[in-house]
Amino acid sequence: MSRWLAACLVALIAACAAAPIERGSPAQARLSEAQARAAAFARSGDYAGAARFYGEALRIATSLENADAIAANAINLSIVDQWLGRDAEARAALAAVLDEPRAGFSERRKTQAELRRAILEAGSGNLGAAEIWAGEAERRCATRCEYAAAILNVRAQLALDSGHAAEAARLASAALERAGGEAGRPEAANALRTLGRARHAQGDATRAIEPLSQALAIDRELGDPRKILADLNELARAAEAMGDVRAARDYRERGLAVSRAMNDARSSAELEALLRR
Amino acid sequence: MSVTLPPGRFTRLVLKVNVFLLIALVLVAAFLGMVAYKQGWLVRQSPLHFVTPNALGINKGMPVKLHGFTIGQVSELKLAEAGVDVQLSIVSEYLRRIPQGSYARHAREAGVIGTAVIDIVPGQGTMPLAEGAAIRFEPARGIAEIIDDFRRQAVPAFNEVKQAMSQIGRSGEDLTTILSALRVEVEQLPATHRAVRKLVEQATKATTELNQQAGATLAATERVAHGVDRALPALSEKLSASIDSIDAAAVQLKKTGQEAQATLRNAQPLLDHSESAAREAGDVLSAAKRVWPLSDTFKEATDGMLPIDSFEAQGKGRVR
Repeated sequence: MSRWLAACLVALIAACAAAPIERGSPAQARLSEAQARAAAFARSGDYAGAARFYGEALRIATSLENADAIAANAINLSIVDQWLGRDAEARAALAAVLDEPRAGFSERRKTQAELRRAILEAGSGNLGAAEIWAGEAERRCATRCEYAAAILNVRAQLALDSGHAAEAARLASAALERAGGEAGRPEAANALRTLGRARHAQGDATRAIEPLSQALAIDRELGDPRKILADLNELARAAEAMGDVRAARDYRERGLAVSRAMNDARSSAELEALLRR
Repeated sequence: MSVTLPPGRFTRLVLKVNVFLLIALVLVAAFLGMVAYKQGWLVRQSPLHFVTPNALGINKGMPVKLHGFTIGQVSELKLAEAGVDVQLSIVSEYLRRIPQGSYARHAREAGVIGTAVIDIVPGQGTMPLAEGAAIRFEPARGIAEIIDDFRRQAVPAFNEVKQAMSQIGRSGEDLTTILSALRVEVEQLPATHRAVRKLVEQATKATTELNQQAGATLAATERVAHGVDRALPALSEKLSASIDSIDAAAVQLKKTGQEAQATLRNAQPLLDHSESAAREAGDVLSAAKRVWPLSDTFKEATDGMLPIDSFEAQGKGRVR
């Protein structure tokens, strides 16, 4: 009995064993702290503060020649800069990865940076540049790459913005297939929204309602008000195209409530104007 | 006496003479051709003509110009019923550039002096003149006409100058009047001087009186100053007491500051201990997070990356 007890104790101790705490250099500690503070600012919605600390983290990572940290912080900085509407700064941040072929970034980081650049260019309305960067990311991304759905969604949006609704629908369907699992739910919602928009653009508003409603359900679960507002707006347009004025008005009133809660003055004004018609 | 010529000197003489004549003929023909070319004989000419009552200054061979460019020459002058008929030879190529309604005028290349030419002034028509057409001629103005024109324009100007000069003369009369008036005023200066002296005497008297009044005012001011002098020591004592109070307060404040500093110094180790304790607690927490079975609970969902979301591609990421 005592042997069994000793064996269990040894097994428990072995299971509790952990790697020693990594105590890096002071610069390493400052890097971790800057990254943690930036992430905290981003979570709290203080994007200017987040940008400041991601910039600081990028500077420290560069001084340490830590390629992975350089890429991660540059990409995060580009995201926050885009949220702040600072597209030029966002591009400059990504240049730390895209314009440094000798830095030895991993393929994953390069794919992330190229995808981010494509998103940034598409968001700025530079469809040609966005197409090129999306193509680069897709070329680098393997068949089951974790960003395959996001890349396909970007390409679908580009096709839709270029007036190729059928191609957009095809790409959005492919993105929906690739967006598997819990981690892929945001991209699944994006794919459904783009599919709905593409069907609407093809003149089939009735078939647009279903994917848009699914996208709204996912976005409500994820709790992203920007996307909820976008879904409601698209649903309103589709309902209006179907001639269902009452449903369109209902979606718009819901959208107005969301935009007011987000303090989005521009969207609120647009929706109010549409509701007054 | 006979001269013996060397044998063979005149052999084939006829041939040599013929060659010489042929060369001479060719040279003459070339010269004539060159002259013809230079004179424009080889160029097709179109005639134009005009009639002028007076052909003075117009000669045969005089150049005819359009916009200052030579387009032909005066080819012939004939006496006609109304004066002289002047024939112009215009290079046919340039005739189409002379529209209907054009007229000729006698002009000189550099205004009054310079080579005389016949200048064609283009008209407003759209069709060119026909060959042999008659055009209007405007004779040149002579020196007498130019002088007469100048006189016509200059006389009014001279009249105005003359009128201005006479006004200046009348102003001289006014000046005489002014000088006379000034002389009268100068004559009255002694009387004015006397009046001014009287005024100064009166002013001196007034100043003396003012001085006496000022003395009285000063005495009154002195009395007031005495009053202030009496009140000032009491005020000074009060002010001194206030300053002492402020001084005491400042000393107290300084003492409080020193005490606060000492307190902070004492608290510093405690703060250091707290920081170190917090760091250690963090380390313990980190270790706990890494230990099974808690490691799965605290495992971060991402590698510190913000989500790369294709939704931002719609340009709506700014409104978050």
